[in-house]
Amino acid sequence: MKIIIAGAGEVGFHLAKLLSFESQDITLIDTNRESLSYADKHLDIRVVRGDATSISVLKDSQVDKTDLVIGVTSSETTNITVCVLSKQLGAKRTIARITNTEFIDNKEEVGFTKFGIDELISPESLAANEIELLLNQSGFNDTFEFDEGALTMIGLTLSRTATFVGKSVKEIGTEFPALKYVPIAIQRFGTQYTLIPRGDTLFKEGDQVYFTTTKTGVDHIYKLSGKVREDIKNVMILGGSNIGKKTAKDLCKRSFRVKLIESDKDKAFEIADDIPNCLVIHGDGRNVELLQEESIDDMDAFISVTGNSETNIMSCLVAKSKGVKKTIALVENMDYFQLSHSIGIDTLINKKLLAANNIFRHVRKGEIVAMTMLNNMNAELLEFVVTYSSAVCDKIIKDIDFPRSAVIGGVIRNDEGIIALGDFLIKNGDRVVVCCLPQAIKKVEKLFV
Amino acid sequence: MGSLSKLNFKIIFHLMGLLLLVNGGFMLLAALVSYLYEDGVLAEIVLAGIVVIGVGGAFMLSTRNHQKEIQKREGYVIVTFGWIFMSLAGTLPYIFSGAIPGFTNAFFETMSGYTTTGASILGDVESLPKGILFWRSITHWIGGMGIIVLAIAILPLLGIGGMQLFAAEAPGPGGDKLHPRITDTAKRLWLIYVGYTLAETILLKLAGMSFFDAINHSLSTLSTGGFSTKNESIAHWNGQPIIQYIIMTFMFLAGTNFVLSYFAFKTKFSRIFKDEEFKMYGIFIVVLTIVAGLIIYFEVDVINSTIAHPMVWGEFESAMRHGLFQVLAIVTTTGFVTADFTAWTPFLTIFFFGLMFLGGSAGSTSGGIKIVRHLIMIKNGMMEFRRTLHPSGVLPVRYNKRAVQQPIVFNILAFFILYMLAYIIGVLVFSWLGLDFNTALGGAASALGNVGPALGDLGPTDNYGSLPDAAKWWSTFLMLIGRLELFTVLILFTPFFWRNR
Repeated sequence: MKIIIAGAGEVGFHLAKLLSFESQDITLIDTNRESLSYADKHLDIRVVRGDATSISVLKDSQVDKTDLVIGVTSSETTNITVCVLSKQLGAKRTIARITNTEFIDNKEEVGFTKFGIDELISPESLAANEIELLLNQSGFNDTFEFDEGALTMIGLTLSRTATFVGKSVKEIGTEFPALKYVPIAIQRFGTQYTLIPRGDTLFKEGDQVYFTTTKTGVDHIYKLSGKVREDIKNVMILGGSNIGKKTAKDLCKRSFRVKLIESDKDKAFEIADDIPNCLVIHGDGRNVELLQEESIDDMDAFISVTGNSETNIMSCLVAKSKGVKKTIALVENMDYFQLSHSIGIDTLINKKLLAANNIFRHVRKGEIVAMTMLNNMNAELLEFVVTYSSAVCDKIIKDIDFPRSAVIGGVIRNDEGIIALGDFLIKNGDRVVVCCLPQAIKKVEKLFV
Repeated sequence: MGSLSKLNFKIIFHLMGLLLLVNGGFMLLAALVSYLYEDGVLAEIVLAGIVVIGVGGAFMLSTRNHQKEIQKREGYVIVTFGWIFMSLAGTLPYIFSGAIPGFTNAFFETMSGYTTTGASILGDVESLPKGILFWRSITHWIGGMGIIVLAIAILPLLGIGGMQLFAAEAPGPGGDKLHPRITDTAKRLWLIYVGYTLAETILLKLAGMSFFDAINHSLSTLSTGGFSTKNESIAHWNGQPIIQYIIMTFMFLAGTNFVLSYFAFKTKFSRIFKDEEFKMYGIFIVVLTIVAGLIIYFEVDVINSTIAHPMVWGEFESAMRHGLFQVLAIVTTTGFVTADFTAWTPFLTIFFFGLMFLGGSAGSTSGGIKIVRHLIMIKNGMMEFRRTLHPSGVLPVRYNKRAVQQPIVFNILAFFILYMLAYIIGVLVFSWLGLDFNTALGGAASALGNVGPALGDLGPTDNYGSLPDAAKWWSTFLMLIGRLELFTVLILFTPFFWRNR
């Protein structure tokens, strides 16, 4: 597939990285020489220097033969222009990154598809959605739902109290036969490697483990993991940026008690005007006294989404030290992102990564129904629809030649989630969730498509 | 002297001239009534009209080379002196015809008319020539027209008493924008005003009033004035509840924001029922009426009153009707009378005295503090509790679902404080002039709120004729500042208004 990415910022770079792993034909356009040469050095892609809205630049990039154009520069208008131009010049599909969420809400009414933009992606609203999902599954630090929760992927860090610790996957299986779950990925404490667990893999303290499970399995895993499902009611949000505002608005709608701290007076007033049920505090969130005055100790969750990554991390650590159960920090810097679990903050989110993953999902659309990246791990979760032409159709899982670096997390049949074990027969119309490391993606795809 | 010469006096006088011309025109209308009813004062009213038109024309002619620039400064002067000039000119029909002897009395009566107060120095109105009675009602009606323009367009522009929030042409959030241009808006609202007046006239005529009484009472209801053509005011029709219900309906409408009436005609009913002030106005009227009505029914022996209370539809209906009528008359600051609330119980006397401070809706012709200001002050007061708990919290007062900017809240608080100060000083001056305790308290509240009937010697069955001359002048002053929302007039008394820069 031939893909043009306009904008070599963090979203563009990350996206190019994800796509280049799959040996797609990628052209990256940007005006900034430095970020282009960085991408050129690190990734196997073609780079073009120039303004992506320039028609000659687009023609040079062979836009007429392109399957997909992705506008992810920092400017919303540039992205829209690039998409509209490319579509007119012959590109098959376009995706634009935007900041104004109104565009997404009124997508049909305005008719973005009509003038050439197929998908609109807003990193801010993706981040807000992610935060909400994380609050719902407060004991876990990562979560993704397939088919409205028929199957759920959850990620958690094993504490010493967890029943899992010190046992192998097989042992757990015999000890709790009723447990419907599949461990799909493990990252050992302090390492960056992702491994796909086998029957003899041991769970260790501090492991970041990912499971797929059914609706009922979530509570079961909660119990076994030694974590209690915290009922989150009081939420404090630091920073009234788009993400903070949207999160506050959505949480207020679902009757959370939300406090939002914003340092700009006019902005604070605007938010107070906009969200009547949210208590807006005007002040600096780094001021611990202010946090205490607003009773941070009573908070169930603390979400820091200011524009400054360091502030977010530090204030989350302050909140953690005051006994807040759930902390979520927004970080822009990918390097910090790697530290996520070792510094004690429950979840770090990165809106650019979210955007890149989301766009990636769109790229794969068609063959794959849904997919997600495991948070800061090197593995992907894919959902395939089985058809008669699929190699796996009408086969028992045991008999399939599945790569070692991939695992079936579950099957959705007639909107119902099933934890599929070795003797399960895959049929036409099943949706199969697979977790795999990047090197196995091609192989897995061949099995299903 | 620098800024005094900077004021654009030419345009001020030009506009005064225009107002006088209009005023003179209406006098000629009164002359027509005088001619039709052959009341014998035709020549006098015509003369008054000609004099006023002549003076107005002269003003306009001599200042026709004016610059068309009006600053805020001129705005205050024009509004204040507009009312004063109109009142001065309006005395002429009374003086020429001899209907009201003495300049003080005539000026009081006209000011009471233009400010839509409805306090009268006349004991026996029924003996007056019809043309003069009509002129008296017309002063109310002109005043009401002026107030509509003032409320929707001029005061918000001048930024007075938080009115910028409630007015039709207010920039920014909160304003119900009708039409981008002030004159168009004014014309639309005037059309509603005229329409209501005609509708009430027809209904009253159908309900059995004479045509003359019907038109006079309509003029006086829509402007929330209160002048009547009967000595007993509306109590004259105590035997005809339908007439009273018609008047009550229109009093209620006159006390409602005219912009909402406009929405009603545009069938945008949701806008009306979403309006917080309208909801509060409705709730206030209902609750107050139930309280007053029940007390009248159970506690009051109306036979003792000097006013006849024929109970044609039964005692309970009568009690509720008089309760509702008095509540509406005081809250909308109309000041019509069907019963003497001071003769009921001590509680009800104080109750109605308190209502004089309530006032109708902003953007209506009613006077007083206005419901929206109370609403915002109460909300702000409640919010203070939360603010104490969250010293750094951004906790704005919300009105019609939007957050109100703090300066506007301060504006309203300042208005209230000034209002109460003006009231206290008003009472003190009255008592110094020899009025007794009740009369001074009631008179000041009534004059400042443009209500009409008060307490003591100025009760619903009495008139202002017995006041000493100085007290009459003081009354007219209170009526004027109350009508023009205090700031407009009082700012002229501040040294910084006249200072350069």
